[in-house]
Amino acid sequence: MKQIKIIFWYALLLVAGGLLQSCVSVAAYQKVYLNDENMELNSRKVEVFETNFEAYREGASGANGGKTGGGCGCN
Amino acid sequence: MRMQLTYKLLAIALLLSTGLYAQESSDIGNNEAKALNETEINFLFNYYEQDGDNAAVTGGRGTEELTNVAPAVIINIPIDTSRTLSTYFGFDNYSSASTDNIDNNVSSASSSDTRYYVNATYSKTNAKQSTYSVKAGFSQEYDYTSISAGLGWAKEFNNQNTEINLSGLAYFDTWKLLYPIELRTGEKLVDTDQRKSFNFSATLAQVISKRLQASLSLEYVYQSGLLSTPFHRVYFNDGINNPQLKDRAVETLPDSRSKFPVGLRVNYYLSDLIILRGYYRYYHDDFDIDAHTMNLEVPVKVAQFFTVYPFFRYHTQTASKYFAPYGVHERSEEFYSSDYDLSALSSTSLGLGLKYSPLYGLARFKGPFSKKTGRITSFKSVDVRFADYTRTGDNPDGGGDLDAYSISFEFTFVF
Repeated sequence: MKQIKIIFWYALLLVAGGLLQSCVSVAAYQKVYLNDENMELNSRKVEVFETNFEAYREGASGANGGKTGGGCGCN
Repeated sequence: MRMQLTYKLLAIALLLSTGLYAQESSDIGNNEAKALNETEINFLFNYYEQDGDNAAVTGGRGTEELTNVAPAVIINIPIDTSRTLSTYFGFDNYSSASTDNIDNNVSSASSSDTRYYVNATYSKTNAKQSTYSVKAGFSQEYDYTSISAGLGWAKEFNNQNTEINLSGLAYFDTWKLLYPIELRTGEKLVDTDQRKSFNFSATLAQVISKRLQASLSLEYVYQSGLLSTPFHRVYFNDGINNPQLKDRAVETLPDSRSKFPVGLRVNYYLSDLIILRGYYRYYHDDFDIDAHTMNLEVPVKVAQFFTVYPFFRYHTQTASKYFAPYGVHERSEEFYSSDYDLSALSSTSLGLGLKYSPLYGLARFKGPFSKKTGRITSFKSVDVRFADYTRTGDNPDGGGDLDAYSISFEFTFVF
């Protein structure tokens, strides 16, 4: 049942991703807002430490550019 | 006559404006070329402190007091216009009260260890806007060594409105097996000292409008080998109250684990003053942990080059089927853990970041390579971030609460 749930989530998100591509095409000269450094689709570099300790203190990790392996984090 | 003059004036104006535009375009091009050739160095520093009462070393009871100091450096070197080398190295030095209890039952916050790490990424972009990357990493602490290697591919298309990013990363880790002192009988208590992790991720980033863009990340992580921690104790339900006499063993978990995180990031440029950065993650693994994580950050441009960004994060998760508190597990069970990181919990993180990034930097000076390169080093920006973290256990028998805070600094230089 859990596996079906995961497959459903993945399929739904892939479809959503496909639909996103049908959005309007924004030309390079129209990207003044999108090029703002706060609009970057990544976590901030200075955030990396918090992402790591959250991965240690919570059983869940991943899908945020953070730690998924390497180092035991057992303290 | 007047018409002809008007046409001439219009033509001159058009030529002048085209010329100005061409010069401006050329300047932009030059700036881009300069930006591509600039080496960027980020000096990072973090101080982290936590306290709780459910240490896994002492079977789910006892202090979790810990402090961690972590300096790190990221260097991004453009080799030429298509190739880049990026390195990330540093160390974490922690002092932990619970680690002291591997060897005795008296608590003190004196035990410490240092983890050193280095990661490097080499990437190359071709004329078709495809970027290929190779990654390698190494980390070492007293009882743990990790080697990693990976490959990545990214491609922009749809007039640079869509980007697909695929990556695979493998970690090969080796434990130095340390058991709790009273369980060191010379007998082998775990099957292996190896752990392998394989991480596959696919990310789709999409521009949705002039002010809105989003990305969707699908990941699959498979781990095998020693997934438990050999110095974590588990106390069994044997009717004995005295912890010194109580039946116990080292934590035992399955030798494989599959994780399925899915992340959605949405950024919206609300106005010239306010931007909204949203993030949501759904997580499931075959230890039976289901989790939801939400994060909202609101950068506010309080001055031309000064941004304040408050943020709030909420996380909730169900317990692993292998978790039970102190003295609850039965000896007959195959797998057992009293590590509250695997318990039912919710957590909140509330914080504030400040970033100051003037157009021409905070300062400009001759750096160590100025004589060779003829370039001036610019102290580009400062970023400071504080987070207050509260974890609340949602377990029927209580426990799992933990408080922590973290302060981080980033100083960026370019030359």
